[in-house]
Amino acid sequence: MNPPAEKQNWVGKPLPRKEENRLLRGRGRFSDDVKLRDMLYLRFVRSPYAHARIVSVDTAAAEALPGVVCALTGAQIVSQTQPFIEIGPDPFARIKDYPLAVSKVRYQGEPVAAVVAESAALADDAAELVQVEYDALDPVIDAEDALRNKSVLHDEAGTNQVWNGVFEYGDVEKAFREAAYVINIDRMHFHRFSSTPLENNVVIGCWDSKDERIYYECNNSFPSFAIQFLAAHLQVHIDRIRVETSDIGGSFGIKITSYPQMAICALASKKAGGRPVKWVETRSEHITASAHGNERTFRDTRVALDKNGVITAIASRHIDDCGAYPRYEPLGCVIWSQVFAGVYRFKNARIDFSQAVTNKCPVGPNRGYSRMQHLWFLERVVDICAHELGIPPDEMRLRNYIRPEEFPYTTPNGCVYDSGNYPKMLQLAKQRIGWDEWKKKQAAARKEGRLIGIGIGTTLDSGTNNFGQSQIVNPGLPYSGNSQGANCKLDIYGEVVVAVGSCPQGQGHETTAAQVVADVLNIHPDLVTVRTGFDTERNVHTGFSGTYASQFAVSGLSAVHGAAQKLKTEMKRLGAFALQTKEEDVEFGTGAQGPELRAKSTGEAINYWGLANLVNANSAALPEELYEVTLNCRYIWRAPFKVPDKQRKYGNLTLTYASQLHIAVVEVERDTFIPRILDYVAVDDCGTVINPPIVEGQVYGATAHGIGAALMENCVYDAVGNMLTSTFSDYTPITAMNMPKVKYDHIETPSPHSYSGAKGMGEGGAAPVHTISAALQDALFAEGVFIDDSFNNADSLFRALVAKEISQAGKLVKVEKR
Amino acid sequence: MAIKFGGEFEVPRTPEEVYDFLTDPNKFAPLLPDFQGVSVQDATHFNVKVAVGISYIKGTADVKMELAQAERPQRAQYKGQGSVAGGNVSLTAGFDLSPMNAGAKITWQGEAQVFGRLTSVAGGLLEPLGKKNVQKLIDALQAALKPSVEQVGAGAPSPPAEPSVAVNDAPAEGRTQSESAS
Repeated sequence: MNPPAEKQNWVGKPLPRKEENRLLRGRGRFSDDVKLRDMLYLRFVRSPYAHARIVSVDTAAAEALPGVVCALTGAQIVSQTQPFIEIGPDPFARIKDYPLAVSKVRYQGEPVAAVVAESAALADDAAELVQVEYDALDPVIDAEDALRNKSVLHDEAGTNQVWNGVFEYGDVEKAFREAAYVINIDRMHFHRFSSTPLENNVVIGCWDSKDERIYYECNNSFPSFAIQFLAAHLQVHIDRIRVETSDIGGSFGIKITSYPQMAICALASKKAGGRPVKWVETRSEHITASAHGNERTFRDTRVALDKNGVITAIASRHIDDCGAYPRYEPLGCVIWSQVFAGVYRFKNARIDFSQAVTNKCPVGPNRGYSRMQHLWFLERVVDICAHELGIPPDEMRLRNYIRPEEFPYTTPNGCVYDSGNYPKMLQLAKQRIGWDEWKKKQAAARKEGRLIGIGIGTTLDSGTNNFGQSQIVNPGLPYSGNSQGANCKLDIYGEVVVAVGSCPQGQGHETTAAQVVADVLNIHPDLVTVRTGFDTERNVHTGFSGTYASQFAVSGLSAVHGAAQKLKTEMKRLGAFALQTKEEDVEFGTGAQGPELRAKSTGEAINYWGLANLVNANSAALPEELYEVTLNCRYIWRAPFKVPDKQRKYGNLTLTYASQLHIAVVEVERDTFIPRILDYVAVDDCGTVINPPIVEGQVYGATAHGIGAALMENCVYDAVGNMLTSTFSDYTPITAMNMPKVKYDHIETPSPHSYSGAKGMGEGGAAPVHTISAALQDALFAEGVFIDDSFNNADSLFRALVAKEISQAGKLVKVEKR
Repeated sequence: MAIKFGGEFEVPRTPEEVYDFLTDPNKFAPLLPDFQGVSVQDATHFNVKVAVGISYIKGTADVKMELAQAERPQRAQYKGQGSVAGGNVSLTAGFDLSPMNAGAKITWQGEAQVFGRLTSVAGGLLEPLGKKNVQKLIDALQAALKPSVEQVGAGAPSPPAEPSVAVNDAPAEGRTQSESAS
């Protein structure tokens, strides 16, 4: 008899990633690796203008080039398609958004035509022969200017304001009347930056006219959303669109918005007689015209505080710049409110939020999207108040943090923070960085005239959205809740195979899903095969499936867990029949012939092959009452959400709230004004950690992304809408060479809202952006400089410190003592 | 990215002679730096091709020109629009003429607006390159107007091409100012 099966608990173990075997040996399969028979190549002709009327598009010379198969223009697209669905309400619901510009271009790099040829090089050459005549229009580069509507981008809307709403909770005016201090901050600005995934966007589209089916191989990271847009636009049934993704080399949200390019590849394939058409984005195209993160301006901020520096109210006006087309973006008008209060206890607040279109690249979800802008705003507010009132920034935070005993904590707008312990994270971070020692070093350095600052950034990574929040933006939208699907089966030869509706881009889903299933079935994770990538024909996706918004640990793994539990139940029934015992007597484990079920009472066992055989190949032996056992179990996990109150803008918008607390020590060099990170610590709390190295890796990645954003990466436009940072020479993404040594630590406050206690993580809340701004503020406060922008490099610090052109605290911050 | 230029110089020709020279595409266009060819549509429209070289970016700029203001002999203004190496350029060049001593004083202003990836790839080089080429044009104009207007008519050789990477100091003759607004 085999010994009793011991429970292993693979969840929580530092299991090496199953993906490494493939990816580190160059055996990954990315979309650009896919070569289909008779494949053609597509190249876009893009607008050099930010805003212009299209007078004419002449593709004749390009089409006459040998090897060119066809070309597409906006006018041709209009005759074959419907405009894309608009998420926002009227008047922006009226705009006509097509994947190629039709009568106007609205940002530099907007596709105007597409050329399809037998090779990528030919398509490149042919694209240069397309003649486009433009009539330049006044561009609108600044969102505040855009709201004045002097030059309107979308004539159908008649305004540049995409959305406006006031989020007001508590009694704001009373709090201001009773305040001991009121601090006024004139303007702050969160800059525009993007993500630079190793792999750019890639689409292969194939329109099979014979049976009206469209096949995509691509690296879109939210395919279930993309197909909803594509089906309506291309006027085909959604079930006729198959999307497959393979390995994806990073997305960070940016690849959610590649559906316009997907539409073009399908239409080009249709025009080319059904031959597959591949488009591989160049790096410059990616930087100029894929998607950027939201730029946001914070105006007329007023903060009420009591005599102890506890914030009692905040009022502010926020203007979000979503670039030329709203597309996914009206959702950004509400997504920030998932973290309305940040990590703080204030109950009274009024935020007047507007979003505007400008003649810049459309924005899209970008790591921590919409929330990081707001969290940066809150962290700046807390930090500025601390400095103005002479309260140490760590003490200021402790006075204002939500307290550990208050969880689950309901925010003023009805979000329920599941768990957390911010004071403990602060204590741990201070200990890891050596706070007291750095304070002494800082004091000594200041006597030498050195500019050293220590900054704290506390942020949230809200995961698993309630899509009902979309109805706050547009009450007519048909979305609410959240769900994810998974399938777990025992294959015909007894292999455990898992399929999920996610499309991982480096997050280690194969490994963590295997850990979850391994725990359920009490087998080794190596015995679990997880199908990588997304495929609509696996039938495991829901309308929310994809990989975005820090949710896989909750939604994805809950679905996997549910499917594995269903499979286990079926296996147990079947095992009890096969072993002629009761279900309670059946245990799961691994024996000499691999994973098996055994009867505890007799020691008799049947391995997985034998079990699967009973259903799939030896079914005559199966009694009728077991006919419903398929060993192929689909499970849809649904988040326990309600539709928010649309009028009050109130409700639980997210299921879990991971938190991050970073501390940075930064020095601004007196001679060069270059900011240098001297020390850095990142403390993370994502609840129960499923796989520690995977979590740690994602913390490092998010930290690098944030440091790059804070100090190096900025999408710069000139006054007429030329993007001046369209190559890596100018955009300067962060690399390993620029990364400081990051000290990592974590605490675990398990979430009561997920089966495992895990919280979604990975986006990191852009903690380094807030942290570095705070450190620079600490370094430069005595110099009269106010850190009012999220991007700070040597040039801007010179302009603030020496030229005194910008960021002068005396002009921008006013303190009223009551 | 907008690049603005302006300046003035004197030539020993009457304003009428200068005006007639400036408004004749076959005389004026060949003086453009790195001129390759001109095709005249009518009295006020012509297309001009010039070679462009900005660091490693080489190509041909195809510019549609229009004589937008023609007030003989006081003022001539050209407007142009064309494509160049992954971008577009729109430009204006105006010449105000006034009699002075035995000749004419030419006050000129120009503005070039560059659109497209070129501004990112070669942004820092555009202004000095523009300044250099404008100066070359003014030098060529002065040279052409010195001896006899008739001697530098259609088909005259263009000034020798120079490497287009370095920024020249302003020459002693004539005064040029430039400013950029970006």
